Amino acid sequence: MLRFAIADMQTPTNNSSAREAILESIRSHLSLSKNLDAREHEIQHKTERGSGLVSTVITDATPVVDLFRASLEEVDGHCLIVHDETELVNALTEIMRNLRQTKLSSLRVAVSDSTEVRRLTELIDLDLDEVAVTPSAADVFSFDIGISGAQAGIAETGTLLLDSSRERHRLVSLVPPVHIAILDASQIVTTLGDALSLMRKDEQVSPIITLVTGPSRTADIELTLAIGVHGPQELFVIIRA
Amino acid sequence: MNHVTSETFDQNARAALGDVQLRGALRNATSLFGRRRLVAARSLDNWEDLRSQARAIKDDVLLHLDSYLEQFVANAESRGAQFHWARDAAEANAIICELASERGARTIVKSKSMTTEETHLNNALEAADIQVVETDLGEYIIQLAEETPSHIIAPAIHKTKHQIAELFTQELGMPPTDDIAKLTSTARTTLRDRFAAADIGISGVNFGIAETGTILIVENEGNIRLTTSLPRVHIAVMGIEKVIPRFADLDIFLKLLPRSGTGQKLTTYQSFITGTKTNRESEGPEELHVVMLDNGRSRMLSHPVTRQSLACIRCGACLNACPVYQQIGGHAYGSVYPGPIGAVITPQLMGLEKTQQLPYASSLCGACREVCPVKIDIPRLLLHLRSEITENSSPAVAQVKKRTSERAAFKVWRITMTRPWLYKLSARLGRLFQAALIRDGKIGEVKGIARLATPLAAWTSNRDLRPIERKSFREVWRASLRNS
Repeated sequence: MLRFAIADMQTPTNNSSAREAILESIRSHLSLSKNLDAREHEIQHKTERGSGLVSTVITDATPVVDLFRASLEEVDGHCLIVHDETELVNALTEIMRNLRQTKLSSLRVAVSDSTEVRRLTELIDLDLDEVAVTPSAADVFSFDIGISGAQAGIAETGTLLLDSSRERHRLVSLVPPVHIAILDASQIVTTLGDALSLMRKDEQVSPIITLVTGPSRTADIELTLAIGVHGPQELFVIIRA
Repeated sequence: MNHVTSETFDQNARAALGDVQLRGALRNATSLFGRRRLVAARSLDNWEDLRSQARAIKDDVLLHLDSYLEQFVANAESRGAQFHWARDAAEANAIICELASERGARTIVKSKSMTTEETHLNNALEAADIQVVETDLGEYIIQLAEETPSHIIAPAIHKTKHQIAELFTQELGMPPTDDIAKLTSTARTTLRDRFAAADIGISGVNFGIAETGTILIVENEGNIRLTTSLPRVHIAVMGIEKVIPRFADLDIFLKLLPRSGTGQKLTTYQSFITGTKTNRESEGPEELHVVMLDNGRSRMLSHPVTRQSLACIRCGACLNACPVYQQIGGHAYGSVYPGPIGAVITPQLMGLEKTQQLPYASSLCGACREVCPVKIDIPRLLLHLRSEITENSSPAVAQVKKRTSERAAFKVWRITMTRPWLYKLSARLGRLFQAALIRDGKIGEVKGIARLATPLAAWTSNRDLRPIERKSFREVWRASLRNS
């Protein structure tokens, strides 16, 4: 008994007592409402436990790739569909050439650790100022373009699913002003519900999963849309069909 | 900082009504958000089902909140998250200040969080000599201006681009411009340095998922991703009501929240964070601390009507729909939670003593209930709080109770309305005697009998009281029957 008491005193009791106090307060207040709850038929909508996902039925037969492109363009993202590797490398080259002519003064490229992305970047037919694989948080701010893969796409919203346990793209997809993502058509699912099931498929959910739908945006000044406030100002998704 | 209390709601509202610029901005914002919400809701053919399901999930959570919280915490802890429990705002702020000072933190970046606005965390951090920078563009603007948010979704809608440009010129040395793109990119550049230098990132939480221990935060700007990715330590502040049972439930909430808030199908970014990184090499913070805040929430569980308040997902749709908010904006409510939901949450968080006017800041039109994605019956909550104010015997609240004349008037009204003969008689007498009170076709103040008319005068100071018609509806009806 005595040992117990001493152990209790030595632990940072403040927080465990706050935890108990809050849980106790929840229980006691809920029990106060028990009688009222019985009378009140407010909780009329029965919870359907384990009913699972409500998937939206997509009635028109638009192939998922076209639907993905339409959804992404609706939120100011760019979508290119290619059919082989040559087309893909040409698309990458073209995007960068245009960017250098319009808004970028240099082409410093940060790529994720995906071997496929790194291989494709090497094939780009341009003089790049710098190419770095997953620069650190301290260095990543100086890059102009980030290139990564994605773990899935959602057609009905034009969304990329980035799972950081499968690819190191947390910073290259976020910090540089331009993000280019390469996605296989086979990775595209139709609905948000499908993507949520994918995320739950493994025994453990990944430490960080990000859904990305278009470039960064804000309407905080006079409700006027401004693209690219903290995240990328331009988002390109290249789909390998 | 102008932490006005809601005791002065009437004065605040009057001041706001005189502010032409504010009212124009409010008109634009609320009607735009309202239209977008409607279009977005109609794009789904099962909107009403989704609302009912969302509410059912929230009801289930709230009735078993203790066990869902324990499940959530156990799962998140097993993945490396550290939990801290705060009974009130002061405890939450003390926990965060201590975490910061233990780590020698000098700069903290913060993403928008209503919960930390509620606890006034920034004041506490500044008092502890820690620099804290708001990174959401709207929040950054009002932090520079030393103001408070006026809308849950768009904190700076009360400011024009000219005012923001002046502010940026003064505070950041930006050359004068009215170009919104330039203002935005100035904020981007300035805040990038802060992100790079920050020791700790502080965020809110939109949903905590019990079955996986995941926290989900939604946003459009990317500042939440930066806040939760760059600094070595991430502290998330979460109200205890934010937990939901299953991952799959997000399919419902992620359809409702962005559509109700901004009319988007999905906000630009959703960050799903489950514990800390498994591999030291990988990107992201090394520590994740979650501060669980009660601050009056568990009290709301004690009655089925008040418990509904905890179902709120902070979308802001009720603000945009409310005819009162549309006219006076957020500051008049004197609390971080404005509009209809604020009028019911604030009195429950801060106590009715200080907030008596808020439950009356509504015409009970029910527009808020119609748009609420989780079907909170706000008008019923308002009535519930009003009755608490009039029934409450605590001396501080009792001053309202002294409206004996009002009580007497309602008593007379009830007696009259339940006795047809008395109703008919009083209507006749009223018709006879009102002649002396009629001015310009309305009943107005009359010199000489002003004292007699006092209870009426209070009412007519804001409204027109129409005189009783010469013939009652029943008389007209009967006459028409006779004629036909």
